[in-house]
Amino acid sequence: MKKFNIAIVGLGGQGIITMGTVMKNAALSSDLQDVSGSERRGGAQREGYVETFVKYIFYENESEMKDPRKSMHSPMIESGGADALISLEPLETLRGACYLNKNSIVIFNKTPYIPISVRMGQTSYPEISFIVSELMKITENIFYYDFDAISLENFNSLTQKNIIALGALFAKAVIPIDIAAIENILKKGKGSENNLKAFKLGLKL
Amino acid sequence: TKGDKAIVLGNEAIARGALEAGIGYASMYPGTPASEIIAVLDKNKSSIENLYTEFSLNEHISLHGAIGASWSGIRSLCAMKNVGLNVASEPAQFLSYTGVKAGLVLAIGSDPGAPSSSNEQDDRWYSLHNYMPIMEPSNIQEAKDFTKDAFDISEEFSFGVVLMAPSRLCHNAGALYFGDLRDRSDIKGDFKKDPENYLNLFGMAVRNHAKYLERNELLKKYLIESKFNKIINGSSSKIGFISSGVVYAHLMESLDILGIYDHKILKLGFTFPLPGELIGRFFEDLDKVVIVEEAEGFLEFQIKKIAYELGFKGAIYGKEFFKQTGELTIDDVIIGISNFFEKPLPAYFDFAVKKDKELKDKLPQRSGTFCIGCPHRATFYSILKAVGFSNTEGKEREAVIAGDIGCYTLGLLPPYNAMDFLTCMNAGLGIGQAISIFDKQKKVIALVGDSTFYHSGIPVLLNAVQNGSDILYIILDNSWTAMTGHQKTPSTQKDIDGKPSANVLNLKDLVKSLGVSYVKSLDPNSVKRFASQIKSALKEPGVKVIIAKRECILQEARRNKILNKKGSGFTEAGESLYEIQKSRCVKCNECFIELACPAIILKKDEETGNDYYYIDPASCVKCGVCCEICPNGAIRKVEFDLKTEFKLRQRAEVKSAEEDTNEVRINV
Repeated sequence: MKKFNIAIVGLGGQGIITMGTVMKNAALSSDLQDVSGSERRGGAQREGYVETFVKYIFYENESEMKDPRKSMHSPMIESGGADALISLEPLETLRGACYLNKNSIVIFNKTPYIPISVRMGQTSYPEISFIVSELMKITENIFYYDFDAISLENFNSLTQKNIIALGALFAKAVIPIDIAAIENILKKGKGSENNLKAFKLGLKL
Repeated sequence: TKGDKAIVLGNEAIARGALEAGIGYASMYPGTPASEIIAVLDKNKSSIENLYTEFSLNEHISLHGAIGASWSGIRSLCAMKNVGLNVASEPAQFLSYTGVKAGLVLAIGSDPGAPSSSNEQDDRWYSLHNYMPIMEPSNIQEAKDFTKDAFDISEEFSFGVVLMAPSRLCHNAGALYFGDLRDRSDIKGDFKKDPENYLNLFGMAVRNHAKYLERNELLKKYLIESKFNKIINGSSSKIGFISSGVVYAHLMESLDILGIYDHKILKLGFTFPLPGELIGRFFEDLDKVVIVEEAEGFLEFQIKKIAYELGFKGAIYGKEFFKQTGELTIDDVIIGISNFFEKPLPAYFDFAVKKDKELKDKLPQRSGTFCIGCPHRATFYSILKAVGFSNTEGKEREAVIAGDIGCYTLGLLPPYNAMDFLTCMNAGLGIGQAISIFDKQKKVIALVGDSTFYHSGIPVLLNAVQNGSDILYIILDNSWTAMTGHQKTPSTQKDIDGKPSANVLNLKDLVKSLGVSYVKSLDPNSVKRFASQIKSALKEPGVKVIIAKRECILQEARRNKILNKKGSGFTEAGESLYEIQKSRCVKCNECFIELACPAIILKKDEETGNDYYYIDPASCVKCGVCCEICPNGAIRKVEFDLKTEFKLRQRAEVKSAEEDTNEVRINV
């Protein structure tokens, strides 16, 4: 059995849950494959921390798939258990860093959304350099972009940043899912033209 | 159709299971994490023959509705969140006395860790008293399969069956294999009188009490051999694990991660009732049993009793290794098992846990807040102004503000800190009206949303009027049960497609009819008027009601988008927008901290290095509240093109862009 775990974190309203849904739908083709992962929906639309997990499971054979000691999977990723982390907000990357190990790949968005505690002057927002140096203590595979800017520039709106980030993940990490499978899912969904364009933009990063 | 495979939410899997079982009735009072169970059925009901769905006004009514449907021969599904069963505990209690006709399943979304609740109670304990059987699916496939089977079991043993799903399962999205749908053409109600079971008075109640205890024994017998409870045999080990639900999934993956495969395991699909014979069979050859479960230990409580009756000589562990409060995560299970075996943690895991502890202290907390343009933000701003309080001054707020359940509950968080207590639905006015009787020095304000008011607030308000309370009651009427995904309330005027609702209630008239003479209804976004209205209401004696009437901005914006209408809503290029004029802004913080709209952000002037406040055109929805409150007239409406503005912004940033390009790649 092989597993590939992806954690996606950010804020409510950024399209985190959509990213997870697209990734999971791309994994339906094979019978020896399972996919799950829970979502934290509490903060949706309200700038709270949101995370979603995508867990791909590949069984070696049918008997392994039926083995009760192998076929039941937690909806969560354990600490250090993520092969990849996508974060759509710089500070939240550090909150999601608990899922990282030394081989994990990190893709994060550079545009900060300032929490109230910082607004009120009670705490300060960490510099990007601090975020990168803390992540570097765990893994060296770090990529960051201004997904907000790329989305604004190309679509005149912030709504495509999640799909651009998804493209960036496929550009930088070896994901055991075909790029074409993701594109097929995007094709079927709403706003397919923009989503396909956004995914391709991400792939070129 | 059968054999199809799709990615669905745990909640949707429950709904699918109920459809495969041929339900004709589905209801709930919305509550996270369970809301999607009924929402998905409601959304698709036009394409499902003979399906009735209802968002009931509260859980008590909702479960009674399901009972009525069941007695009419219709399989019925009732969903609620964990605390909903407190409200529905009375019908639940009687349901065991009367039994069901067609199958009845009660799907409960529990919320360990309380990410969307005001407590984390474990509803399983109710069953020790009301005897409702409890099923606990571990994953999405089981959520569907168990739900379907639950209807058969409900009919066979004449119990309402509880299907327990924590938020981790409700909001788990993964692959589901569908089963067959039943022919729905014959779903038709036919109430058959059954006085033997349905009437409960004096001796009849005692007789029915005895009957359900007998049915419980029959169910126990059935569960000794059922497919729901499984024993996985180990090798020669004398240690066994017992678990259920999502925690069982954590357990199995944890054992796999730790490379532990040789112990006996009991997976309980039914966690109530527990047959002694099954537990006894599991205990054979064991001298240590570890129960892995969330919360206070419902299984441990039952299993220790059974062990005593069986004379089991081994040791039983549970809460020594697994915490009672907060969500039991896969991390907690890995750590608990490692501690039990006195084994070191895997190195990568140990490193990540330690690193996380070290990091979390350094990170600013992030709490949720109201959406940009939310009328609740204006309401809280106005309340605090009216009682003479400032977020920045740090002095104590004198007035007592009673909180309640809904989106507006976020008003208890910084910077508003505008609630003094928060417990259950309609506790705000209930507790507040009594405080107003006993503490005459302080002004008391109670808050409630429209949906919460209709849920159970009407008798509380009537009580306050009848008993001479001195309180200002503000009903934040945004026309929707917004926090759970926008279900309709009696206040909903029109749907998001613009279709007017039937039976819209006139809230002002309703309040008047309860005997409240001081009732005002105004738009909270007119903050100055709204604040002065609160001020004058606080001077009046008795019960005063102000209705803060403005629709949820998300629904208004969605409708505008669907109907292709401009106006308040999300910004597109070339629209007029609010902007802060740098020359006039003195950074008094009225908009930035007192109102604290997230669309107003702090930026740095590249030339002077000075900070300034700026309205982010990509976020602002043009509610105009900041413009009204600015004491310096620094905020104005301008024609705006998002794309041009973005290019300007980019040009300003180009100077520092040399080392800060879009991509930075580090040692891959």
